[in-house]
Amino acid sequence: MGPPIFAIDALKHTYAGKTVLEIEHLEIQPASIVGLIGPNGSGKSTLLKMLGLIEKPTRGEIRFKGRRVAPFSDEARFRITLLPQEPFLMKRNVFRNVAYGLKLRGHGKQLAEDVHQALAMVGLPGEEIVRRPWYALSGGETQRVALAARLALKPNVLLLDEPTASVDAASAQLIKEAALKARQDSGTTLVIASHDWQWLFEICDEVLHLFKGNIFGTGRETIIFGPWQQLDEGGWGKILSDAQLLRVPPPPAPEAAALIDLLSVDTGSSTGSGEKVVLNGIVSRLSLEKKTGQVFATIIAGGHAFTMRLALDQQARQSIYPGESIAIHYRLDQVKWI
Amino acid sequence: MEFLSNGFVQAFHLLWSGNAETYSAIWATVMVSSYSICCSLIAGIPLGFCLGYFDFRGKKSVRTVVDTLMALPTVFIGLIVYAFLTRRGPLGDFSLLFTLPGIAIGQTILALPIVIGLSATAVESTDKKLRTAIISMGANRQQLFMSSLWEARHGLLAGAIAAYGRVMTEVGISMMVGGNIKWHTRTITTAIALETNKGQFGMGVALGLVLLTIAFCVNVSVSFLRRRY
Repeated sequence: MGPPIFAIDALKHTYAGKTVLEIEHLEIQPASIVGLIGPNGSGKSTLLKMLGLIEKPTRGEIRFKGRRVAPFSDEARFRITLLPQEPFLMKRNVFRNVAYGLKLRGHGKQLAEDVHQALAMVGLPGEEIVRRPWYALSGGETQRVALAARLALKPNVLLLDEPTASVDAASAQLIKEAALKARQDSGTTLVIASHDWQWLFEICDEVLHLFKGNIFGTGRETIIFGPWQQLDEGGWGKILSDAQLLRVPPPPAPEAAALIDLLSVDTGSSTGSGEKVVLNGIVSRLSLEKKTGQVFATIIAGGHAFTMRLALDQQARQSIYPGESIAIHYRLDQVKWI
Repeated sequence: MEFLSNGFVQAFHLLWSGNAETYSAIWATVMVSSYSICCSLIAGIPLGFCLGYFDFRGKKSVRTVVDTLMALPTVFIGLIVYAFLTRRGPLGDFSLLFTLPGIAIGQTILALPIVIGLSATAVESTDKKLRTAIISMGANRQQLFMSSLWEARHGLLAGAIAAYGRVMTEVGISMMVGGNIKWHTRTITTAIALETNKGQFGMGVALGLVLLTIAFCVNVSVSFLRRRY
């Protein structure tokens, strides 16, 4: 493994005194695809802004190719680009929007060719589109033009913040394909924040799970949010929407989030000494993790999503398919609080 | 109302025949308003950008002061500038009283808060995502400044037009600082006031028409620029 393209050390960022991101150490390898998942407000967009050198962290350092960088750093500003969550174009036509970054880099020659090539990558070929003003585009087209403006730069690092959140399925597919093509053609490192977990786990070399500004896992963990209540029969838990009881050990605070790491199908045999809790649910989705070749099952129980890691043969042997009812279990002593 | 219609006829005659006194007032007005609007734009747009773009301690207070100064009475500015430029004043040695540059100084003071205030509003009303978009494309600080200004161009243009209209039509500064000296510091507005007092409606209406024509030309040019860019 070569030197990382990004290295973050002791990074901390605060807004109005509140810590929104805190990462002790993080490395991102060149030409890799890294996914960021987590609930709203978990720090995904803030991390992307730090990596995109849009904002300076309150504390800590970010190194790009071994050199410490900050907003407007000459070493990095032409090599890293960020596509923000909400599509935004400047008040100019499509051609001038896509050409803007190229002009900043002094690309005089082949400007038109580069612009057309980038627009074709996002499925917007032709002469008509380049003359259209910014206000004459649909939401999906706006997002694709914004992506084309970044792809035209052939960046070393492309940061995508919820690139498919506000577009239709067809535009989302074009955006996904264009991003992957950039990596394939130019060796671009991709860092993608998205709620489309299935897509991320399919394409990413690594997925980071952010919660309350911290990276704490690979995204395959099950997190159940509070509030928790003290039960009449003793202990703590919450009543799920289908009247099942989700029991947990005493939480540090009623609003704390529970991390249930390892779930397995209830086969009748179990190890460990902690009290076992059984829940009944329905398999909603199976997905394959590219990196490990493992299958992950998403099981819905009482309106909550639980994730379970399976070996390929286990999935077939136990007939775990979407729509099947299934019993899952965990042990109280395996529940962690975050 | 016959005098008014006669005034219109006389107005066209004065303009058509190239009446020297009329054109002297027009020239003085165009000169002095051009100087003052240029100075106020050069100083006011960067200051307005800073006021609208950056957050700093006391920003609201500064904004309140600027907004208040936007309503400065022209006679008050005339009085203050007169006090500074008169022989006994701190700038008396420059002999600027009763000169076109003297009027331009007063009109710059009049236009500056308008340019600053409306520029700040224009910059504030640009999308907050603009900064992220520009930096993410690789802009440096100077390019960020210029691109942000360009994105606020319609608002800035509106501010410049409002300021230009104010300096073109003011009377108080021109009268007090310029002295309404024929062939020298007489502007369109002071000439209208004088000629109307003298009962010379034709001259007054002619100069009023010129003011309207200039305003029309400026607005047509601005509309063209807005469509073009």
